[in-house]
Amino acid sequence: MATRDDAKGTGVYSIIAIPIIIWTLIPLLWTLALSLKGKDALANADANILGNFWPKQVSWENYQLIFTGGASDLFLPALRNSVIVCLSATVISVVLATFCAYAIARLDFPGKRMILTTALGVSFFPVIAMVTPLFDVWRNIGLFDTIPGLIIPYLSLTLPLSIWILAAFFQQIPWEMEQAAQVDGATTWQAFRKVIVPLAAPGVFTTAIITFFTAWNDFVFAISLTADKARTVPAALAFFTGASQFEQPTGGIMAAAVVVTIPVVILVLLFQRRIVAGLTSGAVKG
Amino acid sequence: MSTAVDSATGVATGGTAGGGPSRAANWARRAPLLPALLLVILVTQLPFVVTIVISFMNYNAYYPNETGFTGITNFKTVLSDPQARSAILVTILLTVAVVLISLVLGLLIALLLDRRFHGRGVVRTMMITPFLIVPVAAALLWKHALYNPEYGLLNGLLRMVFGPGAVQPDWIGQHPRWAVIFAIVWQWTPFMMLILLAGLQSRPMDIIEAARIDGANNWQIFRHMTLPHLRTYIELAALLGSIYVVQNFDHVFTITSGGLGTANLPYYIYQTFYTAHDYGLASAAGVIVVVGTIIISTAALRTVFSLFKEQSR
Repeated sequence: MATRDDAKGTGVYSIIAIPIIIWTLIPLLWTLALSLKGKDALANADANILGNFWPKQVSWENYQLIFTGGASDLFLPALRNSVIVCLSATVISVVLATFCAYAIARLDFPGKRMILTTALGVSFFPVIAMVTPLFDVWRNIGLFDTIPGLIIPYLSLTLPLSIWILAAFFQQIPWEMEQAAQVDGATTWQAFRKVIVPLAAPGVFTTAIITFFTAWNDFVFAISLTADKARTVPAALAFFTGASQFEQPTGGIMAAAVVVTIPVVILVLLFQRRIVAGLTSGAVKG
Repeated sequence: MSTAVDSATGVATGGTAGGGPSRAANWARRAPLLPALLLVILVTQLPFVVTIVISFMNYNAYYPNETGFTGITNFKTVLSDPQARSAILVTILLTVAVVLISLVLGLLIALLLDRRFHGRGVVRTMMITPFLIVPVAAALLWKHALYNPEYGLLNGLLRMVFGPGAVQPDWIGQHPRWAVIFAIVWQWTPFMMLILLAGLQSRPMDIIEAARIDGANNWQIFRHMTLPHLRTYIELAALLGSIYVVQNFDHVFTITSGGLGTANLPYYIYQTFYTAHDYGLASAAGVIVVVGTIIISTAALRTVFSLFKEQSR
């Protein structure tokens, strides 16, 4: 991989890469620009620079709308619900999946492959086919539009995924090192804590990030199983309306989209390598 | 902890006759799996079993007195209802178009990112961002920021290039299906790219180097060495992509609200249970989606495990 295309031609590739950056980045920047435009800037091209792209005067009115203004009672509770539901689902599934993946990586027992196949197969399961009975049952037992009523179905998304990714990570850990440490005089607990935990932590962490994304991005459960009390951000975004029915709430929607996108972009920038490793190990590596 | 586990393994392999202690050891070793597995089965399979049962029932919340088993009536209805039929066709169309376009784009980008150049890391980071963005936010972004006829980016660019008299199409109104397709392609291309890039980087470079020394040109190497090696990865990317795009609901709901001939099966199901409260019909349609997914995912699982074998060889 290193010897090919040494110095020659790298400039050409950098140029070819520019359209790719435009294709991915411009929609995001444009969203940011729209969110910073006030009503006049949206309607009037003269109030903007760079060919109507960026507002001459940055306006925070859209952010005020969603954080303190008319849309805040829709957006803020949704943000809180999203954080609570997604963190709970992530913690529960990562803890359970750690045990499960540990057993799969360390032990040899019949049915091991079947468990992995089941986990993978289940993560393919179409969410929409689970929603109908959940909608009916949740309404009958009072879980409809509650936080636990969302956490439980979210586990069905996050658990199989975390089992699969963690098992892939744990299988790459050199477990002999634990015994080597014990031979060198460490106790079982010390060997586990000083040798295995540092090796396993990155995998667990990556799994937690990917799991969190999965829950954070869900829309089908969020919109079908909540009304207004437990509504999460993706569902709230879909219900966004302007001050009146005839006013397009574009600025507010774009501001809300920026707010939910920023954490994702930051996490991606910080943990890019790990996320890629996790995504591909889930998909291709063993 | 580990020593206990190791001795347990020793007992199990030693006592293959299958006496009491080895069975207990077997259970001890499976114990950590149980909570997670039980929960997985409980939260995913139970609703599905209920779905199957309901799919054979006449079960509408508006007509509670008529609830009862009706055999395969719901399935007959789904397969003969013109709305449901069009939903099935739209689902197939969306899936095939999205998977094909994003595979080709993903392959081109992966081929580029497999080379070394200045800013490769930056491009790769940029590339995976769309995949991780909240799908509803991404769909809103396409609907409002790009497709909007007045202040959308696309029409703004047309005005910039062709002046004030430029054509200003109403993208969603005139091409609703393509509007949905391209928004989904934007999100799924990075996924395809990641899998194909992993495939490219697992190529045996020494053999390719040997071919180059023997005088093979770039196209020959790509056609006869890279592509055959990538085949499994392309299959895998296509299958996994199909599994998820078949279920797409977020984009259809957000961009067109299922109007203008873009209602796919998931949207049809949502409408049937959420507004019509016809749980029986919605469940039957759900079962059809599951059957379709099972067919695709069986092939996907086979590909995944054949990759494992290739790697462990």
